[in-house]
Amino acid sequence: MATASRVRRQLPVSPWLFAAPGLLVIGAFVLYPFVSTLINAFTDRRTLIEGEFVGLANFRELLHDDMFWIGLRNSTLYVLGVVPALVVLPLLLALLVQKNIPGIAFFRSAFYTPVVASIVVVGLIWVWLLDERGLVNAVLETIGVGRVGFLSDQWLLLLSAMAVTVWKGLGYYMIIYLAALANVPRELHEAAAVDGAGAVRRFLTVTVPAVRSTMVLVGALSSVAAFKVFSEVYLMAGPSGGPAGEDTTLVMLVQRTGTGLTGRVGYASAISVVVFVITVALMLLVLRADRRSET
Amino acid sequence: MKVTDDSGRRIKVWELVLRYTLLLAVLALTVGPFLWQLSTSLKGPTENIYTSPPQFLPGEPTLHNYERVADTIPVWDYALNSVKVATANVVTNCVGAALAGYALARLRYRGRRAATLAFILAMLVPVEGIIIAQFTTMRDLGLNNTLIAVVLPGCIGAMNVLLMRNAFLNLPYEIEEAAFVDGANVWQRFTRIALPSVKGTLAVVAIFAFMGAWDDFLWPLIVLSDPSKFTLTIGLNYLHGTFANDERLVAAGTVIAVAPLIALFACLQRYFFRGVGEGAVKG
Amino acid sequence: MPVSRRKLAAALAVCVVLPLSACGSGDDGGSSDASGKIEGDITFQTWNLRANFKDYFEGLIADFEKKHPGTHVKWVDQPAEGYADKISADAAGGTLPDVVNVSPDLVAPLAKAGLALDLDKDAGQYRKEYLDGAWASHQIPGMSGTYAFPWYLNTGPLFYNKSLFEKAGLPADQPPTTYDELFEDALTIAEKTDGKVATLANVPTVEDFGRYGVPLMNQEGTGFAFNDPKGVELLTKYKELYDAKALDPQALTATPESSGKKFLTEAVAMNPGSALDLGNFKKQAPNLYKNIGITDQITSTGHVNMYVMGVMVNSQTKRKPAAIAFAHYVTDAQRQMSFAKKVAIFPSTAGSLDDPYFTEEDGTDETRVRVAAAKSLKNAVNYTPVLFSEQMKTELRNEVAKALQGKESPKEALDNAVKACDRLLQQQG
Repeated sequence: MATASRVRRQLPVSPWLFAAPGLLVIGAFVLYPFVSTLINAFTDRRTLIEGEFVGLANFRELLHDDMFWIGLRNSTLYVLGVVPALVVLPLLLALLVQKNIPGIAFFRSAFYTPVVASIVVVGLIWVWLLDERGLVNAVLETIGVGRVGFLSDQWLLLLSAMAVTVWKGLGYYMIIYLAALANVPRELHEAAAVDGAGAVRRFLTVTVPAVRSTMVLVGALSSVAAFKVFSEVYLMAGPSGGPAGEDTTLVMLVQRTGTGLTGRVGYASAISVVVFVITVALMLLVLRADRRSET
Repeated sequence: MKVTDDSGRRIKVWELVLRYTLLLAVLALTVGPFLWQLSTSLKGPTENIYTSPPQFLPGEPTLHNYERVADTIPVWDYALNSVKVATANVVTNCVGAALAGYALARLRYRGRRAATLAFILAMLVPVEGIIIAQFTTMRDLGLNNTLIAVVLPGCIGAMNVLLMRNAFLNLPYEIEEAAFVDGANVWQRFTRIALPSVKGTLAVVAIFAFMGAWDDFLWPLIVLSDPSKFTLTIGLNYLHGTFANDERLVAAGTVIAVAPLIALFACLQRYFFRGVGEGAVKG
Repeated sequence: MPVSRRKLAAALAVCVVLPLSACGSGDDGGSSDASGKIEGDITFQTWNLRANFKDYFEGLIADFEKKHPGTHVKWVDQPAEGYADKISADAAGGTLPDVVNVSPDLVAPLAKAGLALDLDKDAGQYRKEYLDGAWASHQIPGMSGTYAFPWYLNTGPLFYNKSLFEKAGLPADQPPTTYDELFEDALTIAEKTDGKVATLANVPTVEDFGRYGVPLMNQEGTGFAFNDPKGVELLTKYKELYDAKALDPQALTATPESSGKKFLTEAVAMNPGSALDLGNFKKQAPNLYKNIGITDQITSTGHVNMYVMGVMVNSQTKRKPAAIAFAHYVTDAQRQMSFAKKVAIFPSTAGSLDDPYFTEEDGTDETRVRVAAAKSLKNAVNYTPVLFSEQMKTELRNEVAKALQGKESPKEALDNAVKACDRLLQQQG
């Protein structure tokens, strides 16, 4: 290899050429449309009617919109409910499938299937399972618990949607943890075992510190995804967001107000901007907490 | 049979039992729902699927529901379109994300931080709010109603770029420095040293890209008008919209949508998991 | 099934009474525009019809192209879900097809944006071929003109589960025929089954208020009015049913699909439907089919509810004569009649409902339902106001839910809903 490359010492490849395709694509299809969303947020534009500049009127209206506060509450609850589960459970799962025992390859792939299935399919499956007369309730009834209105109670609906998010996310984050665990030197575990540390202590003193940065990454990724949750709640609670709209999340509200032929694009854009600002803040918060705990 | 762990130590029997019990429990939880769907799809028209207690195995298994799906929508044409779109998405994402990720992680130039920031911001944008703007851009490019338009917006995902960046960051500098001293240029260092070391992450990106393209519904629906170009998820929606009450048929449709992905993943999984381990080279 | 439940739920139109008297008093002043040379390539978009009617439409298009040499029709069909999103993107991007299958609620914003052709101006000569009421269903309050050809109509009976009625000690052959009887039977069934069997599965929608005799909009069509005492009365009644579990506890989150499924699984005793559903019951729930009871829609007004589909011409089409000719061809009496014979829908062309196909019984349930529906269409009403948008539906639905949960009184809830809908109406511009 070295001999070949000595001939052509330095190709004129600019670093920008490497990044250019990526920047071009996200620039044209994500950032540029988002800039127009930013501009729309200050207009009263509707789907088929060009808007006029209205200053901060959309944001003022937000403050008095009950549905906005319900959405903010639900999206926040979603982060609080889903993120701890998605930081911890996949790590435990990764530890479970890490050891090479016979058949483990099968289990690893099997645990990944929910990630592979599309969210629409997952929604169809779970609505069918959690239905009042579905499988889960049939089982609950036979063991004497009685039927539970998973899909009709405001809070159970939100919890069910969170459970589905966690169910679908387990395998995804398990993979990320598996990669990180492969980096943990075996000697560390062995040393701890020789010291007589039990499994739980080894987990807390060896494993957790070793994958800490991955836990932060998973925390950041899952909290951003959780705050922007749409499909799970939309599919399970319906387009109007559960009973009296009490399960509406912020992105559902963006979709509901902004789409269709009578969509209020301006107002929906204002909500989008708020969602964006909060996710940026969330990201910074997680990263800062990480830095602080590091020192 | 003696079962040993990676370091050759024998695993105690009780630990093995515990592990397999846990594994089977999680298996039931993750795969059970799919099997229930499969079972529903195989039940014949005379079988009552609403019985309680539930009937787990179909009484007289039949492929009739799959035939009906194929009669209703051109499943094979749609699947072919989905394959085209998903394959293209895998190629563009692997190439584009690897290039950009390498630039962000390894190359020194002005504006690197800004470029990184651009990708991070792109990851945070709520997609639901920008779909019409994406459509008008596509129309201005004269690409609407083509499969290219389906691929383009997601062809280099910001998330994938950042994943690749992290993978490259985790590589030890020393090897590349040695190559640099040997006179290897950027391109050679990238293709011969860096890229082979991040195969695992590339496999992850490939699978994410395939899934993303295979599962997308709203964007293909909006950008495509011509039924001959529809993808499988749109076809599935026909089923759901047309036979919403026929649980068996919808189940057959979902199985058709999921099965190829599971098959693909089953084929790739060995490489995928080994790659995941390898990709995380000791940093 | 061309008229999927989702689509039925999505269909809206103005209040229209359909008199069956043939030949309306349409003006015969055809415009020169439509009578130009019929030629060129046009695109025709339908809504979830390909899956079941591919052959019908391909045949229809071939016939049209043969009749008008030099034309070429490209047919595109869109799935049920996301149809409004698809049309929005095309309308905003200027890529709307030349001829589009629409429902009245989709036409209204398109017409306001100047994207729908005014047929009174450009195709007025065809007006007399359609039922007056159907023709008027694509007119928009506050605008002059008609913005789509009427296409197929649908309405249907109320299905009920005889065995569930019997179990509650109610005579299986005497289903409720008035609202009072309905509410009374529902409460009895709930009481006798300890709340296990509900009679209704859906919360009241705007069309239910209309059928109950509540005025939905003010005379000028500039504001909503369903918060009047009659509306409050209906909602109060529903609240009573909800508390007694005579209205399904999951109704607050029900979709038309889920409630259909509930009826299929015999968890709910009654469900509105169409002739189409009979085949469904037979195939999927043979037990239910044996016990199926069929009765008329319950109304306080004497007019049942119907849904209207239309075919719109894009005002910016480059092939106006061909587009108009094709839209008319799809919806003319001959084509509608043959379409109606393929599936349980009803033609909107004058005189078609007098065809023996819609008047003579042959003893089967399907025919009985069809004849009854065709008869009821003679004075059916499309209750849902044409200006009632998707967003307004959600507002109403959420306020109704609050009332049923007891968080607001029925009066407060309807006042709030009217206020929110009025505001949305103004913002529509």
